[in-house]
Amino acid sequence: MNTKEIDSPPHKESPEAFPPAPLLTSDAIVKESGIPFDGPYFRKTAVKANGKRDPNMIKDSLFIIRRGDMFHIISENYAFKTETYYSILRYEMEGKPVRPSSSAVLDAYVVPICLERAKLAGIPVCTWGISQGYTPLPAIIYGLNYFATASDFCIVRDNDEAKDAIKHITNIGKYPFCYQTLDNGATVHSCIGIFGKTARQCNAVSLLAEKVYSHFSIPLVTMVFVKTGEQYRLSSLAPVKYSQLLGEERTLLAAYLSHQEFL
Amino acid sequence: MTRLGIFVDRKTLSNSEQLNALIRCRDVAEGMGHDVDFIFPVDINKIPGMDALFIRARTDPMNVTYVAARMASMHGIPVIDDPRSIQICSDKVNMYSHLIKNRISVPVTVFLSKNDLTIENVTNLFNELGSPLIIKEPSTSFSLRVEKVHDITGFFRVARRFIKLSDWIVVQQYIESKYDWRVGVLDGKLLYACKYTIPSDTFKIQASVNGHIVYCGVESVSPDKVPPHVIRLGIAAADAIGSGLYGVDIKNNNGDAYVIEVNDNPSIESGEDDCYPRIFEQIVTHLFTK
Repeated sequence: MNTKEIDSPPHKESPEAFPPAPLLTSDAIVKESGIPFDGPYFRKTAVKANGKRDPNMIKDSLFIIRRGDMFHIISENYAFKTETYYSILRYEMEGKPVRPSSSAVLDAYVVPICLERAKLAGIPVCTWGISQGYTPLPAIIYGLNYFATASDFCIVRDNDEAKDAIKHITNIGKYPFCYQTLDNGATVHSCIGIFGKTARQCNAVSLLAEKVYSHFSIPLVTMVFVKTGEQYRLSSLAPVKYSQLLGEERTLLAAYLSHQEFL
Repeated sequence: MTRLGIFVDRKTLSNSEQLNALIRCRDVAEGMGHDVDFIFPVDINKIPGMDALFIRARTDPMNVTYVAARMASMHGIPVIDDPRSIQICSDKVNMYSHLIKNRISVPVTVFLSKNDLTIENVTNLFNELGSPLIIKEPSTSFSLRVEKVHDITGFFRVARRFIKLSDWIVVQQYIESKYDWRVGVLDGKLLYACKYTIPSDTFKIQASVNGHIVYCGVESVSPDKVPPHVIRLGIAAADAIGSGLYGVDIKNNNGDAYVIEVNDNPSIESGEDDCYPRIFEQIVTHLFTK
């Protein structure tokens, strides 16, 4: 994992503020500082301040932008127990304001929670349910377990499709799954949100992307929508690989990373 | 009439004792004048209609119990286990971070990321922490994915397996004991205490030995027979996590007590409550007075 910490010029923080942690034990920290957590307890990949305008968005890179007091963490994947998740946790444990929060990323990637939270925030969402084996048809279905990711969803239109897909996403019935019923004529769309902005999307989707960002604060996210008539409803949020970014999206993200776009 | 939801997942009900404990909990709540509904994963949308929720299923931020806990908290319904406690206790990196930040006594603990898995670092760990070492995958429960290693080869064999499941792993000094104290804490107060006797052929409270699952022995202990410093440490450790229901595992070695872990959703079905017959009553009362 490459980590780059990028400060806004007025609030420059030298990389020495978070030196790479030596192999320290908790006891050693207690003895040295007297404050068990006031040290480099969390191990961290070496950090580089990056002043370039075109940061390298290579696989597994993690960027940390500081604007004012707020740290923004940009990554391909915020999932539980990843390096990114632990980076967020480290900031939270040190009492530093960070976006997204660890609880927001957990909420975002577990589909039913994501939809319930979005609904309470006024974002139109798909109607969902949880099942152990049955789904109304047609539907879009997501796994709901330790190994599931919202990137892996299945659209099922008949019983045979549903049977195979459910077998796959439930690990042969071991786990429940989340289904969302699709109305006749509904279509499934996805787009990428970059700090709440989208490239070349209609007004309706752009507005939803802003709302999703204002609520979950995930800088880089795939939004899956179900469109019925002219209405878009949120179906899930999922990780984004840098390699998935199209030219304009890459330019937009690079602009944020190099401070040409302001948060 | 108030409604208590008890969230259960039949996939994680593994024995009749758990079932009996659920029924006992329901009977106690009904005896206190509450309506009780068992809520299964497929009924999760009923949660907003409850007045309180008690989760009795294996918790993890990636599974359906977390959905239940978040559904309750988003709708302002008192819940045990609350989502924050699940998030912390289901991840040993997070849990030990909270304990250490709050100066709770734990075995010497180091977090290793996959980039730190070098022979030099592992050699240093054995030099500093001694041998054997304990390696834990952060979301282990029931002592699954907890291994004791004696040398560098063994360390890498286990660590490489665990690092596939988590970008960070936990390495700890080994502390020997014949039994663990389990201190049950609710809202910062002692709820129960018991001893978990470690089976002689393992170092865990539950392990697979020659293909057979062996469980620890459980002995409920009245408060006056528990060392006071163990109770104090258990309560302090629980307070470092939150104000819910926790089972704190403590090793008391030659008078030095160490918290091994803090569990949300602690077991209350194997005799832990023999000396504490009012456990469920206290939990239900707590839920309805929050």
